[in-house]
Amino acid sequence: MAKPPAPGSVLVPDWHESAEGKEYLRCILRKSRRRVFGECLSPVTSVTCCSLQGAEESVGKGSLVAKAHKLLLPSPHHAKWLPRPSTGIQTTVVFWPAKLQASSRVVMFRFEFWDCGESALTKFDHMLPACQEKADAFLFLFSFTDRASFEDLPGQLARVTGEAPGAVKMVIGSKFDQYMHTDVPEQDLRAFRQAWELPLLRVKSVPGRRLADGRTLDGWAGLADMAHVLNSLAEHLWHQDQVAAGLLASSPENTPD
Amino acid sequence: MGEERGPGGAVHLLCLAASSGVPLFCRSSRGGVPTRQQLPFSVIGSLNGVHMFGQNLDVQLSSARTEDTTVVWKSFHDSITLIVLSSEGGHSELKLERLLQMVFGAMVLLVGLEELTNIRNIERLKKELRASYHLIDSFLGNSELIGDLTQCVDCVIPPEGSPLQEALSNFAKATRTAFVSLVVSGRVLAATEGWWRLGTPEAVLLPWLLGSLPPQTARDYPVYLPHGSPTVPHRLLTLMLLPGLELCLLCGPQPLLSQLDPQLLESWWQPLLEPLRASVLLGPGALPAGFPLHEDILGLLLLHLELRRCLFTVEPSGDKEPSLVQRRRLLRSFYSLVTSTHFPPEPGLPEKVEDTAQKAQVPRACYLVSGPEEPGTGWRLVALQVGPRRLLLLLSPQSPTHGLRSLATHTLQALTPLF
Repeated sequence: MAKPPAPGSVLVPDWHESAEGKEYLRCILRKSRRRVFGECLSPVTSVTCCSLQGAEESVGKGSLVAKAHKLLLPSPHHAKWLPRPSTGIQTTVVFWPAKLQASSRVVMFRFEFWDCGESALTKFDHMLPACQEKADAFLFLFSFTDRASFEDLPGQLARVTGEAPGAVKMVIGSKFDQYMHTDVPEQDLRAFRQAWELPLLRVKSVPGRRLADGRTLDGWAGLADMAHVLNSLAEHLWHQDQVAAGLLASSPENTPD
Repeated sequence: MGEERGPGGAVHLLCLAASSGVPLFCRSSRGGVPTRQQLPFSVIGSLNGVHMFGQNLDVQLSSARTEDTTVVWKSFHDSITLIVLSSEGGHSELKLERLLQMVFGAMVLLVGLEELTNIRNIERLKKELRASYHLIDSFLGNSELIGDLTQCVDCVIPPEGSPLQEALSNFAKATRTAFVSLVVSGRVLAATEGWWRLGTPEAVLLPWLLGSLPPQTARDYPVYLPHGSPTVPHRLLTLMLLPGLELCLLCGPQPLLSQLDPQLLESWWQPLLEPLRASVLLGPGALPAGFPLHEDILGLLLLHLELRRCLFTVEPSGDKEPSLVQRRRLLRSFYSLVTSTHFPPEPGLPEKVEDTAQKAQVPRACYLVSGPEEPGTGWRLVALQVGPRRLLLLLSPQSPTHGLRSLATHTLQALTPLF
């Protein structure tokens, strides 16, 4: 894998907060909710597959994706997220606009997140290869409140490295907001970073602000929470594509009209 | 009729390992909303104890009633015992027994029969069963569907001349999958012949599962078919074509989910965008837009007992009293009543072979007035059985009782060509 780009070197940082960025984001929100597109209404056709890896059921893979996608809460009757084991593979498409530093072009990324519950992975042999096949990026999740999930990361990384040498790899620590209960101290993170040289991001796990109906999460607030993850992912993928194409070939992503 | 006694009543569902009596899970709902309220362990123990005591003496305890609660027990494969307690009025034994059958079906669907009948590690089984909570809770809640009770597949009728059926058959051929369907909010819109041949309960459970899950772009779930293949898993692939409308494939190792990429789907389904959009709007209405229904009709349940399909809607004149939830409750209770007392319960099954004298006594129609006893008030409920079709209607109090039968007959005649 190529050396990761410095943050902000490929994409304009915090562009999503500018007036122009908000204009693009309005396309993917409807009445402050994240729009759900079916396959027939998809605004972009090229695909970027991101496979989610995490050893434990409770590291929040499903929660992360849903946060990126801003779905209704899975159980509207409960005020908080209820971790629910994924029965099999589920994929979620997230659209994300970003502006390139070099050409000032706006690119609409279409991330396809593939998520599979660990129990299904161990029970059914075909699941892991299916999740890894064609993946452009692997997101390795651990929970700041669960040390075992952090210690399992090297094993997770090793499982994938041989399969896809060219794919982007990122590590995401969830439940970062629960710092009172953190099981993973900063020095361990530093050591891990030095050893693996992988981008490491942190996300909160509280569902953000809600709309007036009390159920739907506010798309704008959610975007602000997730923007750094999506931006970073977009940056690494774009960089990876440029490297793979010898910095010359045209990009596989389409720009919106 | 008792169903109006307590819409806020509670339902508790217990699942225990039959041999050890260890509780595997407990799910509860109050007023159709899942709650976390747990029964005390002593109550769970007693309920299981009394059932086990009977079993040791070769006595099958199937149900019991107290003043406000009905309890139903059922053992499956001598391995799993399910107990349901309901203080929701109008919950007849028939309803609760079918609820337990569906719950066990849901457990097999997601965990497999082998794990349930040959319990090696109880803690692991408990963890695996968590995957089925979402589906099980949806049976305890106020669902818009009725397949759990009727054991028939909830359907919607596509607009006349819709190209979807043909497109679906061609898509099935192209992907070499015999079992393909289009599902709109848990109801089957169109399906291949293979899909329609699926047995009960999977034919009901699969669309129901999709209706109960949060939206996902695509899924690849291993499922065990409780009737057709309870020990060998198949793959259920779902692809969201439009929000609320999913394409489902039931298949073996092929095709891979990654083979059904957006480009392929687009080439098949993009030309049909308008019919697909029109179908999404059908959802809870079940009938094609503009279908002429008498203005007194507030709710309709039509069953085809041979094909095991049903149409269920409470949308007509939706702005009038009673509320949609209340309408569903009335029709569900009425269905349980006529099925357990008047009409033969399972006319589709072979056990209906009976002598002609008995056959002559099977009623063809019945009606009931629910609510206050003054003349001209109270919701009218009428049931009619003609051949394999059974129609149940909920009508407004203005509808004269002497005209109920002809109204039902006309409605059934109008619906017959569609269903």
